[in-house]
This record gives sequence, C-alpha cells and structure tokens, in this order.
Amino acid sequence: MSKSVASCFAILLLATACASTQKPPPRGAFILLLPDDQGKTGSIAVSSSGGEQVLSAPRQAVRVSAGTPPGKPFDIPEEEVRAQAGPALDALPKPPVRFILYFKHDSDELTRESLARLPEMMRTIRERAPVDLSVVGHTDTVGDKPYNYQLSLKRARAVAALLATKGVDSSLFDITSHGKDNPLVPTGDQVSEPRNR
Amino acid sequence: MKRIPLTALLFATFAVLMPGFAAASQDTIGIVRNLVGEATVTRGGEVIPAAVGTKLLVGDTLMTASNGSMGIILRDNSTLSIGPGSSLVIRNFVFSPAEGQLDLLVRLSRGTMAYLSGLIGKLAPESARFETPVASIGIRGTRFAVKLDE
Repeated sequence: MSKSVASCFAILLLATACASTQKPPPRGAFILLLPDDQGKTGSIAVSSSGGEQVLSAPRQAVRVSAGTPPGKPFDIPEEEVRAQAGPALDALPKPPVRFILYFKHDSDELTRESLARLPEMMRTIRERAPVDLSVVGHTDTVGDKPYNYQLSLKRARAVAALLATKGVDSSLFDITSHGKDNPLVPTGDQVSEPRNR
Repeated sequence: MKRIPLTALLFATFAVLMPGFAAASQDTIGIVRNLVGEATVTRGGEVIPAAVGTKLLVGDTLMTASNGSMGIILRDNSTLSIGPGSSLVIRNFVFSPAEGQLDLLVRLSRGTMAYLSGLIGKLAPESARFETPVASIGIRGTRFAVKLDE
C-alpha cells in the first residue's frame, strides 16, 4: 500500500423501487453513478438476468426491472439525483482524512516537514468536528520488536500530546502502536523500507 | 538499550478508522457515524437500536424505519449509507491488505443505499460486490473509461 491514498472513488447509489408494504420483493432497481468530492468518477457494472451494463460517467443511471437485463444507461440531471436518493446521500459519512507524519531518527520528535503540517491538521480537525482520531504508530522491520513497539507508541503519544496542547480534547484519541508487525508497506524482517518511516 | 537503526511512521485519521486493520480481522469491521430517526442493527437474531458509535460485525443487518437514515464507515475507509425504509446486510468484509485478502459483499433487500469506495475499491475493485433482489453491481476500475457490454 502506498502512502498516497489519493484515488478515484466510485460512488454508487442504488435504489430499489419498493412497494408500500414490506413483504413483496422489489419490482425494480434504479442505479446511479456519481462523482466523488474531488469530481472524479469511477465505473460500475450492473448485471441481471444474463445482461450487463457499465456506467462510467457522472450521473449516469440505469433501470432494472425484476427478471430482465438492465436497460440502456442514461444521464439524469442533478435535481433528479436529490429526488431519488437525497436522504441516503445526506447520511453518507465523509471519508476519513489521513495524515502521515515522520520522525527524526530514533526519537519521538517530528521532522520539520511533519511539524509544519500541524496547522493543516488543526484546520481539518476544526472543519470536521465532531471528530474521532486514531493515532497509529508503525515502524519498518529493522531492529528489535519490543523496542520498535515502544518507540512507535511513544511517537503516537507525542503526537496526541502535541495536538492536546493546541486544544484538541484528549478523550477523542485512540492511540495504538503497530510496531513492526503491521508495517504500512509489507516487507520481510530486517528490511529498511523508506515508506514505513 | 542498544542502539539500533529505527524508524517509525505514524498516521492520524480524522474521522473513524479502526486500529489493527490486519491483526484483528474477526472483530469490528466498521462503525455507525451518522444517524437520523429510527434505525436498528440485527445481529444473530438480536435487534439492537443503532446509535452513533455502534460497532459493526460481519453479518449485521442494518435497517431503517420510514423516518430513518444511517451512515457507516468501514475499516477500509469506504463509507456506506441507507435511506428511509431500507434493509441491508454486510455479508462479508475482509480487509487484510498485507496478506492481499480483500473482500466486500453487501446485499440490499429494500430501500436505498449509497456507497463511496475506500481502499478495497482502490486496491482490488473486483472484490467489492453489491447484490439486490433484481440486479447485482460490481466496481470496474477507477477511471473514466466507457465500455458498454450488452
């Protein structure tokens, strides 16, 4: 896994046309592809009764009636998106934001570059309130296991303490150390991996 | 203590990310993040009222009343929501990228759902599947590329 998590997300929205009572099965489905927050659109394949349709443009939709292959994809206007799926879209949580921070060699002191990201982190925390925070320490696989575990824990705590001095409620933190057992980029033992630092 | 070359990586997630994503694959797979109106989680025949912070397991059925909606975050950072009058089962979820084991299988039996893919959608899009009584949906790639199969 690369440290860059920027990717092209697919949003898919699926609405089954449900009857007023709960018992009968849905008679059809309306499936809609939407762009993500960055305006990127993924691609989905809809299949039924031996047929398949691929959606890959923003606000492309397809209807499926029970027991038949999907119809031809068509474009729908923005207002129609809201009408079809407003409440579900409003309930969709914002995806988590992740910051990767680096430390000076064998120390719980952040590198200057990582320290410089503090204002950006604080801004993100304020914008997304209420938040939950996970601070997870990782190391590469070079060195002694208990020592690595303790060091990455110490580093996680140092970051939590730093954020707390800026006014972040410390009860929001979930601090963990993955030590060398769960590096971000999998390697063999005693491998010096820059992306795990 | 002996001096050994050590490096560490630390990342902080704002919003919800479960720790131990490779180690503890048997337990929590996600968490309820947004909630409006009445919603429940059914687990092994037991119906639990859903609340923000409710932890989710494989096999859980999420249901909303006609006034309800619910949004969850899964451990791969994907987000999923259901609108009013909906019922959805998380039939399978495996997120162990270190072992290359990734799987997401969701079944919507009524109502509405929305989904924004996370790391599974990025690392192995074909591993994410959504079923309904009338059609199934798979993620195909992550770029603008039109390919129509009929």
